[in-house]
Amino acid sequence: MNRFGLPALGTGVGLRPPHYAEVIAERPAIDWFEVITENFMVAGGRPLEVLEQVRANYPIVLHGVSMSLGSADRLNRGHLRGVAELAKRFEPAWISDHLCWTGVGGRNLHDLMPLPYTAETAMHVAGRLRQAQELLGRRILIENVSSYLSYTQSTMPEWEFVSAIAEEADCGILLDINNIFVSSFNHRFDAKQYIEGIPLDRVVQFHLAGHSDHGKYLLDTHDHPIRPEVWALYDYAVQRFGAVSTLIERDDNIPEFAELQAEADEARRRSDLTISPAQSLVAE
Amino acid sequence: MELERIQSLLYRLITAPSGVAEGLAAEGLRGADELSALISGDERLTAFERLGIYADAYFYRLLEVLKEDYPATLAILGDAQFHNLITGYLLEDPPTEPSIMYAGSKLPAFLRGHPLAEQRPFLADLATLERALIEIFHAADAIALDAATMKAIALAEWPAITIRRHPASRILELDWHVEGVLRAVERAEDWSVPACAPVNLLVWRRNAQVSYRELEPGERDALMLAERGASFATICGAVAQETGDPAPAVRISRLLNGWIAQGLLLRDETGAAV
Repeated sequence: MNRFGLPALGTGVGLRPPHYAEVIAERPAIDWFEVITENFMVAGGRPLEVLEQVRANYPIVLHGVSMSLGSADRLNRGHLRGVAELAKRFEPAWISDHLCWTGVGGRNLHDLMPLPYTAETAMHVAGRLRQAQELLGRRILIENVSSYLSYTQSTMPEWEFVSAIAEEADCGILLDINNIFVSSFNHRFDAKQYIEGIPLDRVVQFHLAGHSDHGKYLLDTHDHPIRPEVWALYDYAVQRFGAVSTLIERDDNIPEFAELQAEADEARRRSDLTISPAQSLVAE
Repeated sequence: MELERIQSLLYRLITAPSGVAEGLAAEGLRGADELSALISGDERLTAFERLGIYADAYFYRLLEVLKEDYPATLAILGDAQFHNLITGYLLEDPPTEPSIMYAGSKLPAFLRGHPLAEQRPFLADLATLERALIEIFHAADAIALDAATMKAIALAEWPAITIRRHPASRILELDWHVEGVLRAVERAEDWSVPACAPVNLLVWRRNAQVSYRELEPGERDALMLAERGASFATICGAVAQETGDPAPAVRISRLLNGWIAQGLLLRDETGAAV
């Protein structure tokens, strides 16, 4: 078991439609799968059939993009009830969503919008997170997002904002290493300082992914292999947080499953190499 | 600035149909002032450019989703007209649901009143068919009646048994024979303007595969009755009445075998026949 009594899942891959048939038929050697929650919040059909079959062979985690925990709107309880129903049926190891807002005034941008990093906003988000956790009947994880803008009214760095919310809401953290790297370039902060600023006892999962270099800014596109700079930052995070369940994300230019599996193997190799046996025992 | 005001302003600027600049103009000087006071810029990217990244992402993300949802509508219109159509659509019917899969749900209705429908009046029917394919793909599961179960029903029970249509099926009543257009686009063949004549299309899912076909005489009324749960006797009567066939047994038997093979029927265990 890991932090908060959650299982240590090892290294996994985001389950995407091009790999459904292979994952079901060949049961590749991968520790676990993460699925996009909203893609399975449907009445029936192929997606749920696939998830049943995958769940029969692997642990899964539900990763959402729509809780809009930072919105000024009322919390969407209908959506949360849908997530709860899905969780009841598929028993994920945990549920995660993003620390952002996705819409306002009842309208949705379908994007992960950053928030002003203020104490007031942190309290607002933490309150909504507590409500969400109560409705879901479990502690959830919040993920740091990549961002391209920041607000003049922010009074603290992002890592303090994330940490304050996690402490106040008593939730876990899904630390996206690529997002830290992308945002550190876009906003010129020290990515290692970010990692050092996150509390040790709240990080339950890492995300690793690729991004696109647009010269003036980096875009979190999940359409490339993980870049060496992000691997290096992952090593640094493993040194600090120890053995943390790690997931490889790819959402565009999706390659053969074997390529993602190789990235998962590389994450495991780096984690094993970085963590001394003593550290590993502590983490377990 | 309060969170609600910040988010509302950013929402308006990001979704402005011609980009952030037009959105700022619509906000007046107050909006421009608020933007520079709200978002940090630097020598690499101004506040305006930073917000523009989100504005581009908003439109193009939804455009890509709608291209995937409506490949035939896209093929008929071409990229430029489809782009313009979606610009107007998102202005009229912006996404409101948490899941992006519902973003295109109102496009068929939007097309009915659109100037493009004057040039190609079959477009709204085509989009209706394309949307139905998506919705039936995700419709509820149920165990369909199979031939073995049907054969096990005693002959004397048949008139009284009640039947329901599978929830992953839908009847579309359209004015244009758009099924041929969709078929042609799916096969990457040349399409031609469809016939303008009322048509009833059935869209259904069997083993995760969504199919569509024209209903033959007698099928529509029978399957509509089965949507609500109908006795087999009532369904037979509907077939006989719609076709005017004085001896409908052969037709009914053939239709029934087809429906069973296509997984269209459920036995209604509630027994509440209409």
